[in-house]
Amino acid sequence: MLRVIVRRLLWFLPVFCLVTGITFVTMHSLPGGPFDKEKTPPALVEQMEAVFGLDRPLHEQYLTWLGNVVRLRFGPSLASRGRPVESFLLPGLSVSAQLGMWAMLFGLLIGLPAGIVAALGHGTWLDHGATFVAILGVSIPAIVLGPLLYWLFGLELGWLPVAKWAELSDGIVPYFKHALLPAITLGAGISAMLARLTRASLLQVLHEDYIRVAHAKGLAPRVVTTRHALRNALIPVVTYLGPLTAAVLTGSLVVEQIFAIPGMGRYFVTSISSRDYPTVMAVVVIYSVIIVAANLGVDIVYVFLDPRRRDAS
Amino acid sequence: MSSSTHADATQADSAQSDLDLSSAPRRTRGLWRDTARYLLHDPLVVACVLYIATLVVVSVFPDTIAPLSYEQTSFRDKLLSPGSIATSEKLAGHRFLLGSDRLGRDILSRLVYGTRVSIAVAFIGSAVSFLIGVGYGLVSGYSSARIDNLMMRLVDVVYGYPTLILVILLQVYLTGISQQEAGQTTGLQRVVIGLDNRTGGLFFVFVAVGAVSWLNMARLTRGQVMHFRDQEFVQAAYAVGVPDRLILWRHLLPNVLGPCIVAGTLAIPTYIYTEAFLSFIGLGVQPPMPSWGGMISKGYGAMRSAPHLIFPPALALFLTMLAFNFLGDAVRDAMDPRIRHR
Amino acid sequence: MNNPWKFLTAMVILTTLLSALVGCGAQPPAQPVEPAAEATEAPAPAAAPTEEAAEKEVVLHTNLGAEPASIDPNLAQDTFAINSLEGMFLGLTNINNVTAEIEPELATRWEVSEDGLVWTFYMRDDVTWTDGNPVTAHDIEYSVKRAIRPETASPYAYVLYIIKEAQVINQTDVSSDTYDIDTLGVKALDDYTVQFTLEAPASYFLAISSLWTLRPVPQWTIEEYGKDWTEPGNVVSNGPYMLKEWKYGEHLTFVKNPDYYAADNVQIDRVEVDIITDQFTEVALYESGELDIAGDGPGTLPSEEIARIKADPVLSQELHEGPRASTTYVGFTMTKPPFDDPLVRKAFSAAIDRETMVRDVVGSGVPATQFAPVGIFGAPDPEVGIETDLEQAKAWLAEAGYPNGEGFPTVTYRYFASSLEEALGEALQAMWKETLNVDVNLESQEWPVFIAGINPETPLGEMPEMWRLGWGADYPDENNWVYEVFHCTASTNYSRAECTEADESAQQAALETDSEKRKELYEQVEALMFGEEVRAAPYYHRGYTILAKPYVQRSYPTFAPVNWDTWRVEK
Repeated sequence: MLRVIVRRLLWFLPVFCLVTGITFVTMHSLPGGPFDKEKTPPALVEQMEAVFGLDRPLHEQYLTWLGNVVRLRFGPSLASRGRPVESFLLPGLSVSAQLGMWAMLFGLLIGLPAGIVAALGHGTWLDHGATFVAILGVSIPAIVLGPLLYWLFGLELGWLPVAKWAELSDGIVPYFKHALLPAITLGAGISAMLARLTRASLLQVLHEDYIRVAHAKGLAPRVVTTRHALRNALIPVVTYLGPLTAAVLTGSLVVEQIFAIPGMGRYFVTSISSRDYPTVMAVVVIYSVIIVAANLGVDIVYVFLDPRRRDAS
Repeated sequence: MSSSTHADATQADSAQSDLDLSSAPRRTRGLWRDTARYLLHDPLVVACVLYIATLVVVSVFPDTIAPLSYEQTSFRDKLLSPGSIATSEKLAGHRFLLGSDRLGRDILSRLVYGTRVSIAVAFIGSAVSFLIGVGYGLVSGYSSARIDNLMMRLVDVVYGYPTLILVILLQVYLTGISQQEAGQTTGLQRVVIGLDNRTGGLFFVFVAVGAVSWLNMARLTRGQVMHFRDQEFVQAAYAVGVPDRLILWRHLLPNVLGPCIVAGTLAIPTYIYTEAFLSFIGLGVQPPMPSWGGMISKGYGAMRSAPHLIFPPALALFLTMLAFNFLGDAVRDAMDPRIRHR
Repeated sequence: MNNPWKFLTAMVILTTLLSALVGCGAQPPAQPVEPAAEATEAPAPAAAPTEEAAEKEVVLHTNLGAEPASIDPNLAQDTFAINSLEGMFLGLTNINNVTAEIEPELATRWEVSEDGLVWTFYMRDDVTWTDGNPVTAHDIEYSVKRAIRPETASPYAYVLYIIKEAQVINQTDVSSDTYDIDTLGVKALDDYTVQFTLEAPASYFLAISSLWTLRPVPQWTIEEYGKDWTEPGNVVSNGPYMLKEWKYGEHLTFVKNPDYYAADNVQIDRVEVDIITDQFTEVALYESGELDIAGDGPGTLPSEEIARIKADPVLSQELHEGPRASTTYVGFTMTKPPFDDPLVRKAFSAAIDRETMVRDVVGSGVPATQFAPVGIFGAPDPEVGIETDLEQAKAWLAEAGYPNGEGFPTVTYRYFASSLEEALGEALQAMWKETLNVDVNLESQEWPVFIAGINPETPLGEMPEMWRLGWGADYPDENNWVYEVFHCTASTNYSRAECTEADESAQQAALETDSEKRKELYEQVEALMFGEEVRAAPYYHRGYTILAKPYVQRSYPTFAPVNWDTWRVEK
């Protein structure tokens, strides 16, 4: 078990260097620099670039950056004259993480029960209904659902705020009022995906031999379902949580734009177009780390869920 | 493919079918026909197929179908509501069935031309994932452990990136570099850049979507190959000296194709969405070329002033993704004999 | 783990913990809990204890439109920053942002020497920094020197190049022997008198003295905190407002400075500034009552919204429109055929239907034929230049050898990616096609690529024939326009124009002290540059479109920064 984790973490190091190295070179080879403005004479642009060390050789800049990242410093943001990147990216990340958490929670709370109900009632109207809603759910992308909810509940009915984010310290009610629409926009696809996955997986398990054996032994159907079937059926669902985290991260990019939420996602696109290299790099690093961590977490949970693996290690 | 190898596959497969219930669908002559028959039995599937076929036709002949050109502006007719008749002289008598945008362009026409983008991305994404993904997976799965390991690690590196972030970076990079070098490049580069300009930036969207679309397919194919590689029919072919190339092409490929087709169909909505997403954040096709994602992005802010800007492209995008998802599900069910016969 | 629900709970807890972990790292959990009610209704906290505590705090909610890059006066560059720091830092003089007149601020009077080279400002002695120190002439000397020092890397240093030795010092390596900051033409004669020596006589220096780049800054605070000196908690300022909070990407909070010398005239106690970039969202927030003002950022409200607002009986009463000192133009690459022929450039300028552009495409602003808008000192009134005339445009193109566009090659118009620019580009393309029957390719690029791609070092082959640029006034004088933007050597000269009589006149006007003669010279320059040579086709002066609730009494600035201290909120 521990060996697996250590190996995965060691493997992460070269991947990390490659991913960041490629991004670094890509960003710096893009035409145009962070200080190019129509009003600034070229001599002054060079002056500013020198202040931020952009005139040094690329590999030197990369190594400096790497050294800083090891000490958890992402460097000065060029778009704001040297404000440390983490000073605004971390609050943004906190907002994005809250949004992602509510979306995931929404997805799990709706998706899992729906999938289980559909599979247990295979062939009934409940199954058909749930399956149909789920396929609608996976087909409605955030850029369609977001504006739709925004229009309906924000503009037409006026029940919920149209933009911005509230802190928990602003009160529970404003907090959830602000979080509701974005979380549903982001979570709808997740819940549909999970429902489909749970249903398919549970259906497959229900026809396995050991379930038939359990039934034949005369165990109560409820026990068979919960103790034998569901537990195994959830294994593929768990493995899906890794890619799901990635989907939530990138999905929040759009949702944050639609609802004007001060999360981390929107810094990504703007920092690319303003050539704010340190911010771009920081976002890529944070995303990569989260994805790797999520996959690792899934692997660990996986081992616990699957007795065969547990014994093997 | 010759019938003898085919028989090999079927025999070997059935010989061990008792042992492995979860093996991939067996390919028999009847399978494709069964699949097709099963599919066409479902009225919903037929509806989806008809809808997609319509989209394909629309995207091939937009000039004939669209009432106006997608860049025909008419400032006097800006932001007309659906069904309005043009007030300007140059478009006298024209009825804007779905209304007009802020430059007085016909929304219906732009929707029709936008179809072309979505459908093209769907096909290119699938093509790349099959050509590169399946090929890569075949080679990786069949090669020695060391090469296999190396190839899969490469996939892992790309996987370390969130897909959309990679697509965004790639798209920014390609357009940035091409715009800078537009004047001085020669030969192939000029051809590629010219191609991209003429397609309104679509070519680089293809490249970006293609660059990530093959990853899943490569993993899936490799897994399948690993599964079949050690089975008797492959071992037998290897023992009698059939060259690797032929084993891959004749024995393994036909067997792994089924699950790949299912996965490929199910992935189409992702490609469509990736393009829409890129255009939504302003990194997709270049204006004035319309794309559904771009139209949604223009329309969502103006929802109160002009809701007719967003609803047509949003609905089109939703329905198209729905149709492909339905079809993907149906193909998966149809190719899985256990579900089909239940 | 023998129960799936247990597992589910575990997963939920896991995700919660993960998010909480991230959340905790970023945000101190203990924040003063504000009442859930609307902030405007909230009773005044301890911010204004000097006044009667019972009196309601007056709050204004507005929006900047984007994050200020830096509110350090020596470094500030963007409109957002200039608007933010306007309330915090006083200048020697102030531009009246409605009349464009220069008014006294820190300086109560000033003198110019006979030769126009030496300017002496006499400052008031009752202004203090928020830490109690007096604001003196030494602070100004320090600020000007800081702006010019190469290691400060101020993007606006060039506006101060008229000061003696400024350009030389700014472009000299700090470690070189010739570097000497003390040769700079600025000196505090005593605590409240500061003297500038110029390179050449420049009557527009009075306008420059109002710029943020040379406003006094507190040396001791800068030396203590370094680049973080503008952060809330560190910053020491001297204007009517103080920066209380800056949540990056979200909002800034300014509160009234009780020690400001004219604090009695300031009515608004607190200004809450949101950073909402999307203007549709801004309007939605205005309508839902969360903003008192929408449209004070540099952009104009989207034309879709303007159409609806004008049709709405209530909103239309709250809409205020007017001109801004800002111009959008089509630039021509004058060395690239067929645009090396002035007739072609004239034809393209005359073919732009300026009325339609302003009314239907942008939705605000004023049609333009010259570069500087009326109101800027020296800008001709009525405007000179090429007027929209479709028949004349066709005639000019025919005269150039392309009757009805025949034989005219496909040319490119390049702009930077933005929703408005896209609409403008598409409109221009359609107008040129319709009137001149020529094909124009549109090229949209993101800003850094765009601006790097049209600079004078770009090989001619890579230059588009036409491109979009614009200009907004830094100070209200033609020198800031025709000379600093279009002069053949003193400016970047994006058009690649050769030096002509127009450039000579522009230079001469800068040195001229007689204001009538200056005006005459500038009229010549505008007529030559945009009517004869057609270095560019200015086609509209941008306008402001501002929504303000009826209880907000305010000025509507033609000219850059907003002055909250002169506004009132009467609920």
